[in-house]
Amino acid sequence: MFLALHEMSRARVRFGMLIGAVGLLVFLILTQQAIEGGLITGFVGALRQQSAPVLVYSVDGQRTLQGSVINPGLEAKIRGVNGVAQAGWIGQSTFTVRVGGATESDAALIGYQHPGLGDPSRLSAGRRPVGPAEAVGSAADFAIGSKVRIVASGPAAPTAPVFTVVGLAKDAQIQVTPTLFVPWAGYEAAVKAANPDATIVLPSVIAVRPVPGVADTELVDRINAASADADALTRAQAASDTPGVAQVQQSFQLIFLLYGLVVPLVTGLFFLIITFQKAAALTLLRAIGARSSALVRSLLIQVVLVVGGGIVIGIALFAPLTLVSLGAITIRFDPGAVLFWSVGLLVLGVASALVAARRVLAIDPLEATTGGGGL
Amino acid sequence: MTLALREMRRRPGRFAIATVILTLIAILLMFLGGLLDGLVASSTGAYRIQNGDLLVYSGNSRDALVRSRIEPAVRQQVESVPGVARVGGLGTAQLGGRVPGRGPRDLVPIVLFGYDLAPRGLPATPPPAGTVYADDSLRAKNVKVGTTMQLGPARSPVTILGFVSDSRYSGQGTVWGSLDTWRQVLNANRPDARVGPGVVQALVVQGDSRTSAGLAERIDRSTGGATASLTITQAIDALPGVSQQRTVFNQIIGVTVVIAIVVVALFFALLTVERTALYGVLKAIGASSRTLFVGVVLQAVVVALIASLIGIAAALVLDAVIPAGTIPFVATPARLASSAVVLVVAAVVGCAFSLRRVLRIDPAAAIGGTP
Repeated sequence: MFLALHEMSRARVRFGMLIGAVGLLVFLILTQQAIEGGLITGFVGALRQQSAPVLVYSVDGQRTLQGSVINPGLEAKIRGVNGVAQAGWIGQSTFTVRVGGATESDAALIGYQHPGLGDPSRLSAGRRPVGPAEAVGSAADFAIGSKVRIVASGPAAPTAPVFTVVGLAKDAQIQVTPTLFVPWAGYEAAVKAANPDATIVLPSVIAVRPVPGVADTELVDRINAASADADALTRAQAASDTPGVAQVQQSFQLIFLLYGLVVPLVTGLFFLIITFQKAAALTLLRAIGARSSALVRSLLIQVVLVVGGGIVIGIALFAPLTLVSLGAITIRFDPGAVLFWSVGLLVLGVASALVAARRVLAIDPLEATTGGGGL
Repeated sequence: MTLALREMRRRPGRFAIATVILTLIAILLMFLGGLLDGLVASSTGAYRIQNGDLLVYSGNSRDALVRSRIEPAVRQQVESVPGVARVGGLGTAQLGGRVPGRGPRDLVPIVLFGYDLAPRGLPATPPPAGTVYADDSLRAKNVKVGTTMQLGPARSPVTILGFVSDSRYSGQGTVWGSLDTWRQVLNANRPDARVGPGVVQALVVQGDSRTSAGLAERIDRSTGGATASLTITQAIDALPGVSQQRTVFNQIIGVTVVIAIVVVALFFALLTVERTALYGVLKAIGASSRTLFVGVVLQAVVVALIASLIGIAAALVLDAVIPAGTIPFVATPARLASSAVVLVVAAVVGCAFSLRRVLRIDPAAAIGGTP
C-alpha cells in the first residue's frame, strides 16, 4: 500500500494524466447515458405518463400519434371488440403558441375525450382540468397559471383558444416538445384555429380500457384480430415501438460499447508499460524478499485508485450538467446508471491490469544476481 | 527518422496497444460522425435538392412545413416582389404506404411532396395526377418503376414513374408528385389537415441573380409579416432536431478528440521515459533534439495513420452491414478523411507533450552512465 501510494506521489503527472483521461471517458459515458434517457423521455414520455392502458393506432399511422387517424368505421370496429370496457378519443398535433406575453414557440397538444383515458395518470402539481380551456402541462416547460394562446392561421381563422395550465405532469413531453394535455373540445378548437380548412377533427388513436378479467395484452390481440387497419398496443409497447426509439437505443449502445472498451484498454496499456519500466526494480524487490502477492497487490491498489479517481472526476464533471437542460432535453442524475458504470468500469479496469499482474508474477528473483531483470 | 521507423518495424509489439486504443477512438470518431451525417442526410434531403434560393413559410408557422399555410393571395404578393424570378408551391403529407408484395400491416413510411418548381433530379413538369417519382431509398422497400402504392387510410393510389436520389425527409422515404396529387391525397386522408384550392404549405423562390440581395426581407415586408422567408441552409437548420443533433454530436466528437490527445500524450510520455538513456547516447554521438523529436512525431503519425486506416475500413464495413432502416449511419469520404486528419493532428499534439522531456535529456548523463 505504502509503495503504491509513494510511487503515485512521485509520478504525479503521469498518474494524473491517466486519471484525467479515465475521468473524461466516465464523464462522456455518463453524459451520453443521460442524453439517451432524456431524449427517449422527451420523445415518448407523454405516452408513458398517459392513463390509457391500451392505445389503438391506425396501421397507416406507423405508430406515431401525429401520423395516425382513426376514421369512424375503424372506431366502430374497435368499440365493438369483446372485452372493451371504455373507449375514448385521443388527438395530437403541434401548434405555434404564445405562453404569456412571450414570443411564439411550439407546443404539442394531446386532446382526450374522457378523464382517466388519455390524460396524465399522475400529476406532480396542481389539479386536473374541469373545462375545455384548462390544461395539464409538462412540468419542465410550464408553470401553474401559465396562459397558452394558440396562434391562429390568418385572419379568417376562428378565435384562437387560450389554455390555462392548472396542473403539471413530470416527464410528459412528446416529440421533445413542451406538451399540454387538454380536454377534447379544447383540442378541436385548437386544430380548427390553426387550420380553417379542417372540415372534421378525427382522433389520432382510440384509448381503450379492458373489462375486469381481460389483460391488456389479450385485448390488444383481440382488437388487432378484429381489423387489419387497427394497430393496438399496450402503453409500454406504444412508447418503446415509437419510430426512432429503438434506433436511438441501438446507436447509443454501440457508442457505450466502444467507450467501455477504451477505458480498460487505456488503463491496461498504462500499467503494462509501467510494469515494463519498473522491471529491474521489481526484480530487485523480489530478490530481497518481497513476495509476488505484495507486488501484485500494490499494482491493483494503483489500478483501483486510478480508475476510482477517474470515476470520481467523471461524476464530479457530470453532476453540474444535470442541473441544466440541454435544449428541450432534461439531463437527469440517475444513481442507478452511475453505480452501474462505476462498478462496471472498475471491474473492467482491474481485469485489464491482469496482464501486467501476470508479468509481475513471472519475475524471477535470480535475474537480479545475473544482471537481468527484464520481463 | 529512419531510426524511428526501424524501431517500429523491429518492435511492433511496443506500439500495438497504443494502435489498438487509437483504432477504437478512430472507430468512435467515424461512427459518431457517420451517425450525425446519416441523421442529418435522412432529414434534410428534400430541402437540399430544392431548385431555389429561398423557402417561404407562413409567418406564424415557426418554420415548420406541416404548420405552414400559404394562401393564393399571399403567393401573388410574393410573385410580385422585385427580384423574384420564379415561385413554386410545396406541400407535404406524411402517410403510410401499402406496397404490393408486403404484408397488410407492413406499411412503408412515406412523405408525399407536391411541387411545381422541379427540384434537382426531377423533370421540369410535375408528373400527371396520380403518378409520382420516388426516393432511391424506397427501392429497398420493394418499390419499383410501375409499382402502384396505396397511400394512407383512404388507400389513395399513386404509380411510380422513376426515382430521385437523396431526397429523404424526416428520416423517411419521399415520393414527389404534382400539387394537385398532393391536395387530393392529403384531403382524402387527413381531414384535419386538408387545404383549399391554391393553398400550399410553402413557396420555393428563385431570385433574379442581379437583385437577389435582401430578397427574403423584401418578401416578408411586402406580405406584411404573413410570410417568413429563409434561405435553404436556414430552412435546413430550422428543421426539428437538426442543429441540436449537430451541436451535441460535435461536442461529443470534440471530447473524444481530447481523449485521443491524452492517450497519445500518455503513451509517448511513457515511451520517452523508457528511452531516456538511449536518447542520451544518441545526443552524445551528435543527434539533435529536433531529430529525436521528429522521430517521436513520425511514430505518432504512423500509429494514428494505421488506426485511421483500420477505422476507415471498420466504418465502411459498418456502413455495408447495418440494415437499411435501423441505425442511420453513412460513411462519407469527407467524414472519413476529416476524422483521419483530426486523429493525426491529435496524435501530433499529444506527442508534443514529450518535447520538453526530449529537450531536457543531458548527453553527459549518458556518458556518465546515469539514465
